[in-house]
Amino acid sequence: MSRINKNVILALLTLTSSAFLLFQLYYYKHYLSAKNGAGLSKSKGSRNGFDSTQWRAVKKFIMLTSSQNVPVFLIDPLILELINKDFEQVKNTSHGSTSECKFFCVPRDFTAFALWYHLWKNEEGWFRIAENMGFQCLKIESKDPRLDGIDSLSGTEIPLHYICRLANHAIHLVVFHERNGNYLWHGHLRLKGHMDRRFVPFRKLQFGRYPGAFDRPELQQITVDGLEVFIPKDPVHFLEEIPHSRFIECRYKEARAFFQQYLDDNTVEAMAFRKNAKELLQLAAKTLKKLGVRFWLSSGTCLGWYRQCNIIPYSKDVDLGIFIQDYKSDIISAFQDVGLPLKHKFGKVEDSLELSFQGKEDIKLDIFFFYEETDHMWNGGTQAKTGKKFKYLFPKFTLCWTEFVDMKIHVPCETVEYIEANYGKSWKIPVKTWDWKRSPPNVRPNGIWPISEWDEVIQLY
Amino acid sequence: MDDWKPSSLIKPFGARKKRSWYLTWKYKLTNQRALRRFCQTGAVLFLLVTVIVNIKLILDTRRAISEANGDPEPDQDYEEALGRLEPSRRRGSGPRRVLDVEVYSSRSKVYVAVDGTTVLEDEAREQGRGIHVIVLNQATGHVMAKRVFDTYSPHEDEAMVLFLNMVAPGRVLICTVKDEGSFHLKDTAKALLRSLGSQAGPALGWRDTWAFVGRKGGPVLGEKHSRSPALSSWGDPVLLKTDVPLSSAEEAECHWADTELNRRRRRFCSKVEGYGSVCSCRDPTPIEFSPDPLPDNKVLNVPVAVIAGNRPNYLYRMLRSLLSAQGVSPQMITVFIDGYYEEPMDVVALFGLRGIQHTPISIKNARVSQHYKASLTATFNLFPEARFAVVLEEDLDIAVDFFSFLSQSIHLLEEDDSLYCISAWNDQGYEHTAEDPALLYRVETMPGLGWVLRKSLYKEELEPKWPTPEKLWDWDMWMRMPEQRRGRECIIPDVSRSYHFGIVGLNMNGYFHEAYFKKHKFNTVPGVQLRNVDSLKKEAYEVEIHRLLSEAEVLDHSKNPCEDSFLPDTEGHTYVAFIRMEKDDDFTTWTQLAKCLHIWDLDVRGNHRGLWRLFRKKNHFLVVGVPASPYSVKKPPSITPIFLEPPPKEEGAPGAAEQT
Repeated sequence: MSRINKNVILALLTLTSSAFLLFQLYYYKHYLSAKNGAGLSKSKGSRNGFDSTQWRAVKKFIMLTSSQNVPVFLIDPLILELINKDFEQVKNTSHGSTSECKFFCVPRDFTAFALWYHLWKNEEGWFRIAENMGFQCLKIESKDPRLDGIDSLSGTEIPLHYICRLANHAIHLVVFHERNGNYLWHGHLRLKGHMDRRFVPFRKLQFGRYPGAFDRPELQQITVDGLEVFIPKDPVHFLEEIPHSRFIECRYKEARAFFQQYLDDNTVEAMAFRKNAKELLQLAAKTLKKLGVRFWLSSGTCLGWYRQCNIIPYSKDVDLGIFIQDYKSDIISAFQDVGLPLKHKFGKVEDSLELSFQGKEDIKLDIFFFYEETDHMWNGGTQAKTGKKFKYLFPKFTLCWTEFVDMKIHVPCETVEYIEANYGKSWKIPVKTWDWKRSPPNVRPNGIWPISEWDEVIQLY
Repeated sequence: MDDWKPSSLIKPFGARKKRSWYLTWKYKLTNQRALRRFCQTGAVLFLLVTVIVNIKLILDTRRAISEANGDPEPDQDYEEALGRLEPSRRRGSGPRRVLDVEVYSSRSKVYVAVDGTTVLEDEAREQGRGIHVIVLNQATGHVMAKRVFDTYSPHEDEAMVLFLNMVAPGRVLICTVKDEGSFHLKDTAKALLRSLGSQAGPALGWRDTWAFVGRKGGPVLGEKHSRSPALSSWGDPVLLKTDVPLSSAEEAECHWADTELNRRRRRFCSKVEGYGSVCSCRDPTPIEFSPDPLPDNKVLNVPVAVIAGNRPNYLYRMLRSLLSAQGVSPQMITVFIDGYYEEPMDVVALFGLRGIQHTPISIKNARVSQHYKASLTATFNLFPEARFAVVLEEDLDIAVDFFSFLSQSIHLLEEDDSLYCISAWNDQGYEHTAEDPALLYRVETMPGLGWVLRKSLYKEELEPKWPTPEKLWDWDMWMRMPEQRRGRECIIPDVSRSYHFGIVGLNMNGYFHEAYFKKHKFNTVPGVQLRNVDSLKKEAYEVEIHRLLSEAEVLDHSKNPCEDSFLPDTEGHTYVAFIRMEKDDDFTTWTQLAKCLHIWDLDVRGNHRGLWRLFRKKNHFLVVGVPASPYSVKKPPSITPIFLEPPPKEEGAPGAAEQT
């Protein structure tokens, strides 16, 4: 055996193995990236070509939903924003005349659609068809919160989210359910133990971090990038709703426990009060909504919601909070127009403003205006007889939606902190005697109104 | 890779200049041992890298595959967990494919145990008399059906024959007698037992005890029997212990085409028995009905609440008729089951409907009443847009034009505040007293049994003061109380759009059903056009009644109203009779009249301001209570109102149930 032969063998071996290596590397990339979804980040896609994976995934999805009559509409904030920017142009574009893919081809990991569950007629079989079309789908279900308020019902679970992946783009289908109070609700996307946490980058999802509530949108059909989709008729309003859509459910279980301990007051008077207070609250909400003024449940009404999911029958009034920057001068006249005359007005816009309106059956509607400082919020109180001022301090809070007396309504998201500031740690125990000047732990004396201002800051009717 | 070239075999090529360069290179190469060594090492290293990449590839591929299969694994765990809960302890003792079954029969107690787990135990006194039948799945040992046929009483053996015939071949049948099971066990039933291979069953005698285990259409797996020695005594208790070999799962299932519907069917049929041809392998009855849609359907988006308990066979029958009704929209239907019963839930799933279970609160009537409240609240929560809800019960047949009837009349509920409900049921609509499917009435009573509830009525009035669990009230009696009804009326059809078939129930028994419900008229004509619906509104109805009374012929009041000849043998006439009714709540004569007309007489139903409307011999027959009714003015002065004496009260008269 000469050296040359040895070299030849070596060379041949090396050639074959490099061929193998090339093949393996190719296979490795092809097979595993498809399997693992590791390629998601690699999707650069051509910016204006209709061959991008995003566009193809959306197109397939729209084909699927229109053929199966799945009532979906586009809610993706990114795309809605783009559409909104040149809304006029989009509206005027006729079918298929688009030359450039401007919206659905923007690189991103997800496209979010909403599914109007209530209008969905044929739920069955849809999933299978999606999978046959090449989508890999994940379904997230949970129990129905609409049954939570009722003792002891347990139903079939309802779908909350679908995530359908095609190649390296995923469609996030958020299921919108109708709720009592004329609004749509979507659930929290909570992964169950056995689910694949790497199915898609869940953290980047736009919806599902919290449950959300939205006004029921009117829809319109438009053609975007050659695809016919429904979008909310008022995309601006919808886009504004998204960052403030967080919804918190009433704590029905705790409320039931509360009633087991303290028994519900079912006397005729209590029921009459509840009915009247509910009507007053609904009227006030309607009026303020028309004015475009944000408000939330405050004091006793908030406590009633949080502790017992109902109106406290002995609270005698309905309390609302409004940020002073949302104050509008026509609030008083608007309430007067719906039959709620002003009862008294304390303070002024710059300081400690508080309005009270007289509802029917002797129920009072109190509106407290909240002032924001760097590290806390406060609202003011005034004693009519003495002109003494009080300040009620609250830790800073943001607003969340909830459902109360058949309405979608705001409450402080940080509800416990809010209530504990107002009622102390023992808020769970019902107290019937309450002195608004002394009982609240967050009350601070705040001087006295100068007599010269009394005519303005203490108005009683 | 390309920089390493084999040294000698490749002929140099190209320009001469290049060639010389090559030679130099070659020369250097061949002469430098160290370099050659280096190249060889390089090649070996390269091979090593290839091997490593190979190994990594194999590992990654395996991981990817195991991930792809990752999902079913929890399912398997789940199934294993379920398996442990099964009565059989097969897992514990390896792949044993045998069940040991114990069957006990005696005068006062029966029980059946499968692999040590009791699946039936009945030692209650004065209950559970007759033949207990249990059906087991031959592959899993699951209990698929449990029935008791009181074959001491008439007709129960027919029900048993019906049931046994429905059981699929191959299933394991277990029978055991408690107390007495032979008195009304007729020849057909005995022949059937013989065909199952039983020796003692066909010869079952008075107060014998008997235990039987066998495969339907297959061998008998065990049987014990003890004769009663005398009329006044019972046979000795018998305890049968036997082994039942299990067959494979495939044998136990049918081979239906793989569709969504059949998947539902398979799930259902592997769990329960006794639903007849729905589980037939050859020709299963459809579970999707797609009835004709209703043109201009006004109740398409009205939610339908089906109130159910644990009567899955009733529920099955009810849902079939409901889903076959024209204009039904299945996604609006919710079945509310009072209790965590599996079988009704299986029936609901079979039809692909929404089912909700309700933890029972309180007892008896109050339990039903709490179940109603939760169901109604949930219905309006689930369909917040709905202004109405249709309320049905599990023991009703639904007429083919049920939704058509509602679609034509529902606007009345919106437009007329004096209405309380629309009901599909006419309390007085029997075969011999109802005639005209296009005719509607206004009545002061609330019939229930398939009715429409207005959301505002429920949310604003009923829900806040619904009877609490400690009040043992009937919800329907409560709804009929004047405090709730407040003078409002219900719209009903002359010919009912629902049929009450339940004979087992809280306030129900066979005798009661036969007397009051069996002969009820039920509309089977599709697409009936209701006549003059707007004349049902408050004022218009008064005009209509006055018109009717004006043209009505006054009957001969000297005749006995209970006699058939009280009404002439005509057709299509309108007749009126006047009866005595001193005050608004004086129903003495009416009750006697109702009794002899064989209509509902247990309380007053179907009246409108002292007027009853029904049909006799195809004539419209009006009855006016004088002088309480405002229609008394129509009475000719010469006529003396009929008075019927109530029979003297008997001690211990049978206290029939007050209502349904």
